Amino acid sequence: MGLSRYIAMRVVWAVVVSLVIATVTFLLLSFAPNPAIQEAATQAALEGGDPAEAKERVKELRGLDEPLHVRYVDFLRNVYTFNLGWSDMRSQPVTEALTEALFYTAQYSIPWTVLTMILGPLVGLYSAANMYSWRDHAATGFAFIGYALPNFFFAIILLLLFGVWLEWIPVIYNTDVGVFTWANVKQLILPVFVLVTGGIAGTMRVSRNESAEYLNADFMKTAKAKGVSPARAYLYHVMRPTLVPLSTTLVGQLLAIFIGSSLLVEVVFGIPGLGRLTYQAVVAQDTNLVLGSTMIFTFIAVVGNLLEDLVFTVLDPRINFDDR
Amino acid sequence: MAGKQSERFDDVDWDEISGRSAFNLAINTKLLLATLAPLVALFVYDRVYVGEREALFSRLAADLGATSAFETIGLTGDLQSLDFLFAFTLLLFAWYVVLPLYQNPRMTAYYWKEFKRNRPAMLSLAWLGVVFVVGLLGPLIISPPEQNILISHQPPVYLTVDAANVGRCVGQLTASSCHGTWQHPLGTTNGGKDVFKTIVYGMQISMKIAFITTSIVATIGITFGTVSAYAGGWVDEFMMRFTDIILSFPTLVFFLLILYIYGASLAMFIVVFSVFAWGGMARYVRSKALSIVEEEFVKSTRISGASTYRTVRRHVVPNTASSIITNISLLIPGFILAEAQLAFLGLGDSTLPSWGQLIASGRSDLAFAPWIVLAPGFVLFLTILAFNFLGDALLDALNPEAEAEAES
Repeated sequence: MGLSRYIAMRVVWAVVVSLVIATVTFLLLSFAPNPAIQEAATQAALEGGDPAEAKERVKELRGLDEPLHVRYVDFLRNVYTFNLGWSDMRSQPVTEALTEALFYTAQYSIPWTVLTMILGPLVGLYSAANMYSWRDHAATGFAFIGYALPNFFFAIILLLLFGVWLEWIPVIYNTDVGVFTWANVKQLILPVFVLVTGGIAGTMRVSRNESAEYLNADFMKTAKAKGVSPARAYLYHVMRPTLVPLSTTLVGQLLAIFIGSSLLVEVVFGIPGLGRLTYQAVVAQDTNLVLGSTMIFTFIAVVGNLLEDLVFTVLDPRINFDDR
Repeated sequence: MAGKQSERFDDVDWDEISGRSAFNLAINTKLLLATLAPLVALFVYDRVYVGEREALFSRLAADLGATSAFETIGLTGDLQSLDFLFAFTLLLFAWYVVLPLYQNPRMTAYYWKEFKRNRPAMLSLAWLGVVFVVGLLGPLIISPPEQNILISHQPPVYLTVDAANVGRCVGQLTASSCHGTWQHPLGTTNGGKDVFKTIVYGMQISMKIAFITTSIVATIGITFGTVSAYAGGWVDEFMMRFTDIILSFPTLVFFLLILYIYGASLAMFIVVFSVFAWGGMARYVRSKALSIVEEEFVKSTRISGASTYRTVRRHVVPNTASSIITNISLLIPGFILAEAQLAFLGLGDSTLPSWGQLIASGRSDLAFAPWIVLAPGFVLFLTILAFNFLGDALLDALNPEAEAEAES
């Protein structure tokens, strides 16, 4: 099997996975009581109308009186064309609400992802190069603490320290400032810092263990004997093979932090991003918005895993596709 | 092994082993069944005889005519389905993890020696031991935290705060500053709930999560991995593709959806998170099982006439045990953190006093009453840290070569 065939298979598989997740979501939703219908029935009862009739009307309005398979096909078509319906909470189409939120999520997510991807392997390499010295122990200890310190707790403490007591950064997130302004950097520095400390730890541990293997490899000895500069020896000869096993875990780890923490960090810092939108939608019982935001997170996860596998195959030419 | 296990190979009584029938249960299984019987009886009694709003133990005491005896030992509460599951996993833990350690003193001594060299791991084990014992027994002794608006914002013991921020100072009041008392060792929240009591009750939640998820994840993961490896062919392919799908589910977001539809409870949390967490373990057990069946000792066992079940039970699973244990000790802190995060957002089980809830309740008063956030936050931090240290140490002690494998 050639590379292009493998990639094609992998893309098809990603579509299958997203289809399965969408189907499970649909089944969950269709077998559960819909709050909008209950609400309509209550409303009708309060106004002296017939609750059963009101239920029927709402069902008809939302197309819920159709048979299951028709609704299923409709659902899939809507999900895959991003036609996610109307959000009552935001009084705008769900897609629009999600795009607006994504704008704010991206503003802090891109910096922390890039920083983690650069700093994590570097710290790991540094730690491996100084294996079992106090520098290594300090870096490992830092990684352990960063990993174990719950992000939301850390965020609260930092906000108290720098926002309330020292007043270096604003406590309330301001959406009016421009993206590339100093004010925006100031209000995003804490969320980015919290997420980077959480993200670095896992990356650093894997890259430390992996690069330790290559530090004393024969090709390293050859490189040193040839007189290759230390920077090139570490960054090119050690880092490159380290990145291959690292890339298999990196995306999964980053996605877990992205989904888990964006929810918490956005709520703590008051950033009107995707996580906070999802949270508000759950609290406000806005079915379309809950569905839309969970679907967005699912697609990000599926696409992330797909990219990880593709990058992996490009990075490591040693993989033989005939076995698969 | 029934009865005693021989320490050395030349001590083995081969006549005894060959004379044993196939239905001879190990002592561990017998003990498990013996202790399980009263639990099942209690469960059936709870389901059949005890009314919806009646507390299990007070009804039982009334039926047995021993109300006073039950009240003296503090058994008056009710048990949920989750509590029965928790008790069951505790029994499993006692008879299949703790008892074998006692049965094989030589092996235990060896691993203990390896493990003891790692000092952070020893401290972690001690801390987790405290969390376990206090979480298990604390709620039996200590009454649940109660709302009392009059005694809001009491400072922790040995600390003082400005009396203007305190509801009605329970401790000493000197020169407009309120001293903490042993009545509320870690102070109280803005609703007057005792922080220490809430933390103790939160420990029980963490222990429930740890034990129940571990049992579910290990059962599904091991079964799936070995069945997949042994079945081979398209069954294997299908099962592994299924595992891929499970692995790519964004669990937290999916849980939000389920919570939105069906409402939140701790049982739902445990089921959803453990049902989507066994993928990694199944993959690992499968690859290990595939390599072990090729080993000489497994071939010789099969030639000697061992059944597939026996090969899996006595050779494949024990050989993957070290990675399973490590994997689990690194999974548990993730679950505990997820529970705390959801409780913090107010999306958890609001009827249970938990750490995340406590952190959320203290957020607005952080400037003058930092203990409400700091105390549960540090307990949560230490617990997660301890599990991570323990996982690392177990990895070193149980399987020195596997370091790189389980890390990735």
